[in-house]
Amino acid sequence: MEIMGMAIIMILIILALIFVIRFVILKKPVEYKKEYTQVELASNMINTLLRTTANDCNGLSFTELFQDCADYPSDGSVDCSVGVKSCLYLKTKIPVIFDNTLEGWNIAYYFKAVSGITTLVSDECADCDPNSICPVRTHKEFPIPSATTINIILDICG
Amino acid sequence: MKKAQIQMMETIAILFVFFILVGFGFVFYARILKSSVTTQGEEQAQLGAIGIAQKAAFLPELQCSEDNIIKEGCIDILKLNKASAIIPVNQEEYSDMFGFSKIYVNEIFPGNTNWPTLYDNSPSNYKTKLVTHVPISLYDATLKSYSFGVLVVEAYTK
Repeated sequence: MEIMGMAIIMILIILALIFVIRFVILKKPVEYKKEYTQVELASNMINTLLRTTANDCNGLSFTELFQDCADYPSDGSVDCSVGVKSCLYLKTKIPVIFDNTLEGWNIAYYFKAVSGITTLVSDECADCDPNSICPVRTHKEFPIPSATTINIILDICG
Repeated sequence: MKKAQIQMMETIAILFVFFILVGFGFVFYARILKSSVTTQGEEQAQLGAIGIAQKAAFLPELQCSEDNIIKEGCIDILKLNKASAIIPVNQEEYSDMFGFSKIYVNEIFPGNTNWPTLYDNSPSNYKTKLVTHVPISLYDATLKSYSFGVLVVEAYTK
């Protein structure tokens, strides 16, 4: 009889252990900040970038520079400084902004601005290959109206 | 040994093993409970940090507006200048909202300016420090231009 009692107790203990392991130990901690940061960061980065004024380029915004670069795909029509048109300006200034923000905060990212099949600007963190080390990412895509719609894409790696 | 004595010994042995198992169960439960409390504390700290970042990003004292229409993700530089002088003097008024935290704004593009700290109630001894970066436009109403800035919120838990 005592053996039966022990067996029942052991079964109950094993069931309790399985329950604890399933619901407490294997429960993934919720990373609210990471989720919030990734979702908000991607959209805030693009919104802020597109609104930014390029004082060197007749006070045009980055949105207008992207439109100019897409409409004149060789190098753009707007003069930013001697020999620097809108496309080259974007290609040099956008990496500077990302270096001082996402890269400085050790957040892996992949940025691309495409118009049709033409890539206007692309930038990624130096130590990040998004196809290999960035399997989970927050993907944000903003369209800018132009002769050919420009898509601004920012992937932030998780 | 009599049969009754053997049965008594058997019962004592079973009870002994039973109490050892109960003891193990309690130790295990206490450890799980401790780690669960720690995880909950971390989650609360993360939620607190997000809350402070949201409140700071949407602070009416800083937000850009035009014809009483608020522009999201934008800080008015003129308001920022005044607020960075007024808020530190009246820090107690804001401590309910921001708690133990430090809030400041950095300009990333075109300049690389660090604006005066808006709010600083960082404790000397803290348990965790969570830094949230919010990309935000800095609007200069006199030049009618937007700079690329970052609102930095450092939230502390004691």
